[in-house]
Amino acid sequence: MIIAERKPLEEIRNMLAGYKKILVVGCGTCVTICWAGGEKEVGILSSQLRLASSKDGNELSVMEAVVERQCEKEMVLEELGDKAPGVEAILSLGCGAGVQMMAELFEEKPVLPALNTTFIGMPEKEGLWVEMCGACGDCFLDRTGGICPVVRCAKGLLNGPCGGTRKGGKCEIDPDKDCAWVLIYHRLEKQGRLNLMRKYYEPKNYRAVKRPGKVQAMQA
Amino acid sequence: MIMGGNNKIIAFCCAESAYRAADRAGRLRIHYPDNVRVIRVPCAGRVSVLHILKAFEKGAAGVLVMGCQEGACRHLTGNIRAKERVKYAEDLLKEVGINGQRVKMVNFGPDMAQRFAREIEEMVEKIKEE
Amino acid sequence: MPVKIGIFLCDCGGSLRNIDFPKIRGNLAKLEDIAFVEISHNLCLEEGEKAIASRILREKVNGVVIAACSPELCEDKFIRLLEGLGLNPNLLSLANIREQCSWAHEGDVTEKALELIRMAVNKARLLQAVERGEVPVNKEVLVVGGGFSGMKSALELSQFGIRTTIMERESTLGGKLKELEGFYGLETSPKEMFSSMTRAIEEDKNIEVLTSAEVARVQGEAGDFTVKIRKGGKESSRSFGAIIFATGYRTEILPQDFELKPGVNIISQQKLVEMLQAPERLERRPETIAFVVDFSDENSRLPTLSTLNNALAVKEKLGSEVYVFCKNLKVDSEGAEKLYREARERGVVFLKFEEKPRIHGEDSRVKVEARDVLLGEEVTLLCDLLVAEEKALPPEGTKTLSSMLNLETDTQGFYQDENVHLYPVASGRKGMFFVGACRGNLDLSRALTDISSALVSVYELLSPGGAMVEVEKVKADSQKCRTCLTCIRICPHKAIRLARVDSEKWVAKIYDLACDGCGICTAICPAKAIKFEGYSDEQILAQVEAIGE
Repeated sequence: MIIAERKPLEEIRNMLAGYKKILVVGCGTCVTICWAGGEKEVGILSSQLRLASSKDGNELSVMEAVVERQCEKEMVLEELGDKAPGVEAILSLGCGAGVQMMAELFEEKPVLPALNTTFIGMPEKEGLWVEMCGACGDCFLDRTGGICPVVRCAKGLLNGPCGGTRKGGKCEIDPDKDCAWVLIYHRLEKQGRLNLMRKYYEPKNYRAVKRPGKVQAMQA
Repeated sequence: MIMGGNNKIIAFCCAESAYRAADRAGRLRIHYPDNVRVIRVPCAGRVSVLHILKAFEKGAAGVLVMGCQEGACRHLTGNIRAKERVKYAEDLLKEVGINGQRVKMVNFGPDMAQRFAREIEEMVEKIKEE
Repeated sequence: MPVKIGIFLCDCGGSLRNIDFPKIRGNLAKLEDIAFVEISHNLCLEEGEKAIASRILREKVNGVVIAACSPELCEDKFIRLLEGLGLNPNLLSLANIREQCSWAHEGDVTEKALELIRMAVNKARLLQAVERGEVPVNKEVLVVGGGFSGMKSALELSQFGIRTTIMERESTLGGKLKELEGFYGLETSPKEMFSSMTRAIEEDKNIEVLTSAEVARVQGEAGDFTVKIRKGGKESSRSFGAIIFATGYRTEILPQDFELKPGVNIISQQKLVEMLQAPERLERRPETIAFVVDFSDENSRLPTLSTLNNALAVKEKLGSEVYVFCKNLKVDSEGAEKLYREARERGVVFLKFEEKPRIHGEDSRVKVEARDVLLGEEVTLLCDLLVAEEKALPPEGTKTLSSMLNLETDTQGFYQDENVHLYPVASGRKGMFFVGACRGNLDLSRALTDISSALVSVYELLSPGGAMVEVEKVKADSQKCRTCLTCIRICPHKAIRLARVDSEKWVAKIYDLACDGCGICTAICPAKAIKFEGYSDEQILAQVEAIGE
């Protein structure tokens, strides 16, 4: 799922400078699961904002809300239809898609991002998210035993390790990371498909997805 | 003191250890400052970051999260989680410009009455500085 | 129905003199949802109970606040009282105005007492009734491990009419009983014990035995564990109400502890026992035998016992000279001190060292050099046989099993973390128990104590009333749950699982019997989907609200 992180408070407060009445909106899907923008984080951020403004002697009224999925028009309107008009600005704890959907629906209100959307990933354990997929639009996980070197190799190599792999199978660039190609090797070994590593793969087409991407699914 | 706030210290006390230590202090007539308010919780692990922040929002001057000693938590990891959350809360408070030392994690056993009183006194001293 | 709260204030026989009760009553009575405020002198005595009963039966309240001594003392009593009066006890909110107020501070504490009571009132306004109910439990018990502890557990449980299944991964029952030479202080030999126990088990209709069978997986919780059993390459599922682990131990000589590799002249206690079983077959009688105990192990109770037992056996069967090199002798097992004295009387020589003895081979003999602490001198011994200390270890597969089941182990890998709340036989998971050697308890008397303890707990669990719970006291809202799996992963009691609730959606479900009410899940849920009645976020924050008002 989409993994995001909250921006530092200072950056958020700078965005909010001058506004006295705001709505802080969380999203109930990806960012709830990665502990960045769910109901709890909305509560925490709002609490901090109130404490900070009270400390500075500024006036700030903070309303809190959560939309099940901020990137869905109907859900946003359902939850915020009556709340949005009364505020000066909306602080969104959704991913970039959510922020933009809300900005489109409430065009006259500044919709500000409280999160930095970082990557597509999964939990390694609770609270620890790791990047798994680079959304390159040209998936070749079949050849790499289900391990993506585009994202998990620091150099994005496609044809085996760089030769700088450290002891213990660690990456030359980041010694805390496993060398992706070591992982791929062992995975393919388990599957008896090491022959795949002998094939040469041409440079990847990183423009497989024309940005901004668009996918028209077939009718169900 | 935080503008508009009071001088109260909120102590979230776990029922297995800290709450009992507080009771013991009373039984032994060990006196401590009276601006502390104890909120009993089943485990220090019940206390969330939001509780801590809201306590400050509502005007508290200091927050103590009091649980069992490490290795002695009935729920195995509750006190460890509480410790991590208190650390997180410290950082969140610092972001707001509030001294992170106003929130503190304390671990002790159910018989440590003196310790309970001392922690209260220390926090009272701390909140006087600003 | 509008909230109506009844408040009782207790002045503890008039002794809480630094609280102005009438003033507090005056203040509280002004609040609009308060039905009454009654001052009492001894709520814990009969007069107080009568006062509570009469008020509650007379006035329609749906919340009760009692300001008195610590809930540690009075909560249970008031809960029973309210139940008797037909009022759900979860509607009770307590304020500790004695131990944590009147007794804790000098001077007048009326203001603090009032605030504590206001905190309790705020909480009471939000309390909801929680029903009590009995969770249906499966009354069969699984015993994992068919050694002494396992067999004994099954036999004991059968006395109480409880059906057990013993699962043993070897092809026969017995465990160490088949290997040990004897038990000190007991007339019965392990072999006799083994045959009498196995016979008793065969004849016992309450006990089923599965040999060559292993635990493949366990799902569920107390009262309803679904165990996948692997036997003969095939898997089957069975359901049990409780599980007792009696998986025993193994011993190993750790070669790294000695500079020499174990060989002909350095043998294990086990090997010695085998030799002693047929001494006439020995090529040459060893004239001098040395034992080394407490060489490297923190847990040397068993090696100590073995050493003493075997030293005596050597004296009896071989008549050799026996020396025991030891750092400390852990003689706190039953009968061990007596053994030690007997050994000394029989001429076994004990040498105490501080630093590890140096062990070398010399020709076909073994040379042991150590500094004896009591003599203050270097001692050199040439012996024919060195019986090496074995380290007691948890059996193979313990690590896998314990991590699969989320069971705690201690620093040495034996079951059960050294956590005071788990002693003697409990685990973090309700309904799962550990007995005997697998707990690191390597003597018989302790194993017997374990079994009795486990028996009591299991019996309680499976008896009527044993599975009474507060129904859905902690509950995940299926609408708000995002199925992020966080609570399922972090519950220390493994009380949460995925389930299809209401709709077809998979959501977290908290199982009442396994839940121990810590609230860790409630605090960590990123969607704030879990409600813990009595300690919900709202109920906690309502108390915070009352402070400094």
